[in-house]
Amino acid sequence: MKTGKKLGVGLIAAALAMSAIGCANNGGNGGNTASPESNATNTPADTKTEKVKITYSMWGSAAEGSTTQAVADKFNASQDRIEVEVQAIPWENYMTKLNTLATAGQLPDTGMLQEGGVIQWSSEGMLNDVSAMYEGSDSKPLDSLAYKHQGNTVAYAAANEILLLYYNKDMFDKANVPYPPAALDQAWTWDEFVATSKKLTIDKNGKHPDEDGFDSQSIVQYGASIENLSWQLEAWTLSNGGGFYSEDGTEVRIGEDASVEAIQRVADLYLKDHVAPLSVGQTDDGIQRTIIAGTVAMATNGQWNIGTSLNTAKEEGLKYGVAVLPYLKDKVTLNTGGANVVFSQSKHPEEAMEWLKWYTSEENNWALISSGIWMPTLDKWYTDETFTRKWVENPNFPPYEEYKSAVVDYAQSDAARPAAWFYTNYTTDFNTLLGSVLGDVWTGKTTAKEAISKNLDALKAAHAGNK
Amino acid sequence: METVNKLPKRRSRFHSSEARVAYICLIPAFFGLVFLTYLPLLGVLGISLTNWTGLKPPEFIGIENYIKLFTTDPYIKDSIITTIYFAVLSVIGSMIYSLFIAMMLNRKIPARSFFRAVFYIPYVLPAVAIYVGWSWLYEGNFGFFNYLLSEIGLNKILFIADSSFVVPSLSLISVWLAGNLIVIFLAGLQNVPNVYHEAAEMDGANSWQRFLHITLPCMTPIIFYNLLMSLIANLQVVTPALALTNGGPGNSTRFLTYLMYDQAFVNYKLGYACATTLIIFAILAGFTLVLFKTSNRWIYNEGGEDK
Repeated sequence: MKTGKKLGVGLIAAALAMSAIGCANNGGNGGNTASPESNATNTPADTKTEKVKITYSMWGSAAEGSTTQAVADKFNASQDRIEVEVQAIPWENYMTKLNTLATAGQLPDTGMLQEGGVIQWSSEGMLNDVSAMYEGSDSKPLDSLAYKHQGNTVAYAAANEILLLYYNKDMFDKANVPYPPAALDQAWTWDEFVATSKKLTIDKNGKHPDEDGFDSQSIVQYGASIENLSWQLEAWTLSNGGGFYSEDGTEVRIGEDASVEAIQRVADLYLKDHVAPLSVGQTDDGIQRTIIAGTVAMATNGQWNIGTSLNTAKEEGLKYGVAVLPYLKDKVTLNTGGANVVFSQSKHPEEAMEWLKWYTSEENNWALISSGIWMPTLDKWYTDETFTRKWVENPNFPPYEEYKSAVVDYAQSDAARPAAWFYTNYTTDFNTLLGSVLGDVWTGKTTAKEAISKNLDALKAAHAGNK
Repeated sequence: METVNKLPKRRSRFHSSEARVAYICLIPAFFGLVFLTYLPLLGVLGISLTNWTGLKPPEFIGIENYIKLFTTDPYIKDSIITTIYFAVLSVIGSMIYSLFIAMMLNRKIPARSFFRAVFYIPYVLPAVAIYVGWSWLYEGNFGFFNYLLSEIGLNKILFIADSSFVVPSLSLISVWLAGNLIVIFLAGLQNVPNVYHEAAEMDGANSWQRFLHITLPCMTPIIFYNLLMSLIANLQVVTPALALTNGGPGNSTRFLTYLMYDQAFVNYKLGYACATTLIIFAILAGFTLVLFKTSNRWIYNEGGEDK
C-alpha cells in the first residue's frame, strides 16, 4: 500500500510542476518590470545605496545554508557593489527545483550544479561562459576541473575529487605484505595488484586463492574491491587504452576491445581471481561495505571518503592508507567535482562571477576542505608546499608524505583525467544504461563483450540523448 | 401532474437541509479529487505529448514519446515483464500467506492478541528501515542467510545481486509485509457464520472439507477485495528498487514506477516520464478490469446471483 502512493505522488508532482509554469511565468514578468536592479541600470544612481543583488543556490540543509550565508555576509561587507543572498535547497530535490525555476524564468544568478547536468544545461543555453573568470589571477583551477562545452568553459568544479586506492594497514601487516605504492612512478601493474590481492584473500581454513583446497564459497577476507559504479569504470577503460567516449566526447568507444576487456578484468576479480567480493553496482557505499566493514583489504573510490566516512572509522581504530590506482596499460585516475555555474538568465553575470571567484577561494570553504571532503581547486594548493602543508597537515588526513604523494601529486599529474561529464552530454542516461547492461556481467551470467555488443546501439543512442 | 411530480423531487435534492449539509461536506473532498487527482491526470496526458525537460518551455510532439517507448526504449519491455512478474508472485504469495496466518490467528490459541500484533508489525515499520534490514540478510558475500547456508555446507545464493533471484527475494519481503491483508482476512473470518461449520461438522465433514466448502466460499468477497488492493499496490512497486537495488542487477528490478521516477527525476525527461505513467495506468486499469469482469464467476453471494 505504501508503494501505491508513489504513483500518486508522481502525478501530483507533475501537476504541480505544470501549474508552476503558469503562475511562475506571470510572477517572473511581474518581477522583472518592478525589480530594483532594472531601475538601477536605467538610472545611473549612486551605487553605494543600490547594491546589485544576486542569488546563489546551493544544495544542503537550512543550517548549511545559513553557514554559507554567513560567508556571503563577509563578502557583502567587504565591498559595496554586490549583495549575495544564499538559497539552500535539499540535495534530493536540488535539480528538480532548479528545473522548475528554470522553466519559470526565476533561476538564481549563480549556483551549484550536479556533475551530470552541466553540459546538458549548457547545451540548452542555460549557462554563461565563465572562461574570463580567472583572467589575470595568480592562481587558476586545475585544467582538469573546467567543464567545457563546444570549446567554451561553462563552469569550474566547486571542489576537486580523484579516485584512489584505499587499504587496511592492519591486514597488510598481518599478512606481511608491503603496502600499495603511494607514488605514481611505482604504481602497480594489474598483475601485481591481483597477485597482492591473492595474498590478502583468505578462506575460513586460512588458504589463499592460488592454493590447493581453497574454497571460494567460504572466503572470510577479500583482497580487493574495484568500485564498479558506471562512471568510475571509465577509469579502467581509459587505463586499458579504450574509454567510454572519444576525447571530444562525440564518439562512443565503449564497444572497443580495450574498453570491454578492462570491464571484464574488473568483473574477473570476483569471477576468476576470487579476490573480490561480489558487487553489482546497486549502492553507492563502496568504502563502507569494504574497508570500513573490515572485510576487504583494498578498495577503490573517491577522495571524499576520507571526510565522509573514513575519519570516523579512524577514530574508532581503523588504520587505513591511501595509494595510487593500479593500471592496465596507462596510469589513469579520474577527476570530478560538482560545478559552480552562472546561469544565462542572470542579469548580472559579471557580479555573479566575481562572487564565485571570491567564494570558491579555498579559505571560504575551509570546513569542507580541512575535514577531507573537498580538495581545493586552485593550482597553488598543489604546487606550493606552504599551501599544501596548510591543507594536509591536520589530523583528519593520512600522514603528510603518503597523502601528498598519493593524492596531491596524483591529482596534478598526467594520470588525472576529467570524468566524462566535464565535456560530454547525457552521461547520466549513458551511465544508467551501462549499469543495467553490465548487471549480469558481474555475476558471470554473461560476458562484458556479449553484454556490450548486444546493447551498443542503445548505448550510442543514450549518448546521443535519444534513448 | 408535472408540477406535482417535480416539486417533491426538487425538494429532496436541493431543499432538504440534510442534502445541503451533505453537499457542503462533500466540497473539500470534491476539490481534493478534482485538483489533486483528475486535473493532474489530465496534466499528465498533456505533458506526455510534449518533449518537456523542465528547462525549456515544452514543445508539442504528438505521440512521439509513445512511439519511442514502444520501439527504441531499452528498458520498457523488461520493465513491464518484471513488474508483472513481481506483482503476480507477491500477490499469490501474500494471499496464501495472509489467509493462512489469519486462519491460525482466528483459532483459540494462547496469547492470540500478542500474535495478531506480531504479524501486523511489519506493515507499520518504516519502509526504508525494513529494506535496509533485509539487505543485511540478503547480502551476497557475508549476509546472514548466506552465513546460514555456508554453515550447513551449501553454496552461496546471491539473492538480490543475482538477476534470477532478485524478484523472488523482493517478493518474499512483500509477502512478509502483508499485515494489512491479515487483518482484513481476520475480520472476514469472524463473519463466517458458525452455524455452517456446526452443521457441516454434524454431517461429518473434516476440517479440510469445511475450509474448502464453507470458509473459502464465504470469504470470496474479502478475497476479491484483498486481491484487488494487493494487485494494485504490487503493480506500483518502487520502494525496494529505490532502497535496495537501484533497478538492478541489469534491468531485473527496473519496475515501471521506478523507470518513471528515473526518467522524470534523474534524467529530467518529464514528457517521456508522463507517457510511461500512462502506460502504467493502462496496465493497472487492464488488470483491474479483468478482475472485476471475472469476479461474478467466483464470488459467492449469499443473496443469490444478482448483485
